[in-house]
Amino acid sequence: MLRAVALAAALAVTGAARAEEAFVTNQLSDNLTVVDLATAKPVASIAIGGKPAGVAVSADGRFAYVTSPDSKSVSVIDAAARQVVGRIEVGGGPLGIAVAPDGATVYVADWYAAAIRVVDPAARQVIASIAVGASPSGLAVTPDGKLLLSADRDDDSISVIDTATRERRASIKVGSRPFGVTIDAEGKRAYAANVGSNDVSVIDLAEAHEIGRVKVGLRPYAVALAQGRGFVTDQYDGKVSVFDLATLAPLKRITVGDYPEGIMATADGQRIIVANWESNTLSIIDAVELKVVGEVKVGDGPRAFGAFLRR
Amino acid sequence: MKATIGRLAAALAVLAFVGTAWAHGPTRQKTRESIEINAPPAKVWAVIGTFHDMSWLPPVSKTEGDKGNEIGATRRLTLATGATVDEELYKYDAATMSYSYRITAVDVKVLPVTNYSSTLTVSPSADGKGSLVEWAGAFYRGYPLNDPPPELSDEAAVKAVGGLYRVGLEALKTKVEGGS
Repeated sequence: MLRAVALAAALAVTGAARAEEAFVTNQLSDNLTVVDLATAKPVASIAIGGKPAGVAVSADGRFAYVTSPDSKSVSVIDAAARQVVGRIEVGGGPLGIAVAPDGATVYVADWYAAAIRVVDPAARQVIASIAVGASPSGLAVTPDGKLLLSADRDDDSISVIDTATRERRASIKVGSRPFGVTIDAEGKRAYAANVGSNDVSVIDLAEAHEIGRVKVGLRPYAVALAQGRGFVTDQYDGKVSVFDLATLAPLKRITVGDYPEGIMATADGQRIIVANWESNTLSIIDAVELKVVGEVKVGDGPRAFGAFLRR
Repeated sequence: MKATIGRLAAALAVLAFVGTAWAHGPTRQKTRESIEINAPPAKVWAVIGTFHDMSWLPPVSKTEGDKGNEIGATRRLTLATGATVDEELYKYDAATMSYSYRITAVDVKVLPVTNYSSTLTVSPSADGKGSLVEWAGAFYRGYPLNDPPPELSDEAAVKAVGGLYRVGLEALKTKVEGGS
């Protein structure tokens, strides 16, 4: 009995050992701000260089991987130590990035080459390439690790890649210029923000086709999911559009900072974190009340494009 | 065969156009310039608050367009050199004295940017006696592909837009304070 209590206490400590954090790429100040989401305060700044844009934190929270298109590289960051521990030369124009759920593979979209680079983070090198459509931008991996999605912006489509064979299995037509793509926790649906047609495409992954379209604001960038709702950053409006995931009906538009870009829900689904590129801030939204409950100053030109929360 | 080649060339031309309009570099740039003007905000707004009147900006010799200050209104600026810039209004708020527009067509030789959007705002100056005019822009460099030539780099884009804003705001100050 005592041992069980001790074990439970130890687990609780492990679980609560650290607060959830945001790893925010500041493209114009060439660095990364780490924000403690419990206190809503910046706790570290890490120099990156090469105009960092994309970011993906591994599911175990050990590493953050950051793309720098100008230096054509990916930085490997030890998340707890707040240190760059490696650089991987990938060439081209690395932008979107995603980590497989098991942490063993990192996928990097080459914005100029219509290709995804497959990176072995342990060996710190590119081990394969996957041909996709033009200007691949956002990437996402299904929770079971079996599928990789790539938003091929200038092909108006989403590539579905079998991660085992590293081959494209399907190309799904969506709206105009899809940029960010997000997969739900069940791995059933994906949501792509279409910058060109000002809407969000809803994709059924089993059927591999678009099943709905939600009108949002101007120049949508990416989508977050929580509380049965979708949250979309409308860059030119300075707002987050909220819609119901079941009915796809629009619910609300929440004013955030100017040019909101990266967006992601906290692990408990209670908060939505938004990076405001022009205002140099993070907005924290209460996902239940649908209102802004906090703001945090970060570096210049925050993009936070990808899974930027260490949860 | 000839027809096929003609069609192919036309298709490529369309693709090139579409590509130019939407493709962009990896890093969006920002520029913000401001100026204090010795006049009440309403007086400054009276000069710049009409979307179809860009006569206060020195390189502009003519502005044409329709739909007034409605969202979606378009304007074509003709510069002294004969070059044109097409723009579209996407935010307009007379109460806060601010409007936002984007460029829908410009030659990168005229302004070395793509995917350009911008906001003009008038507010009371810190001492409450005059006005503060802010002009903020968000844009990508003129060269949409990797490894840009110097004249179409990120730095060239920031320099060109910053220069335009400074010239424009100085001219606006002179015009408003001179009462012309």
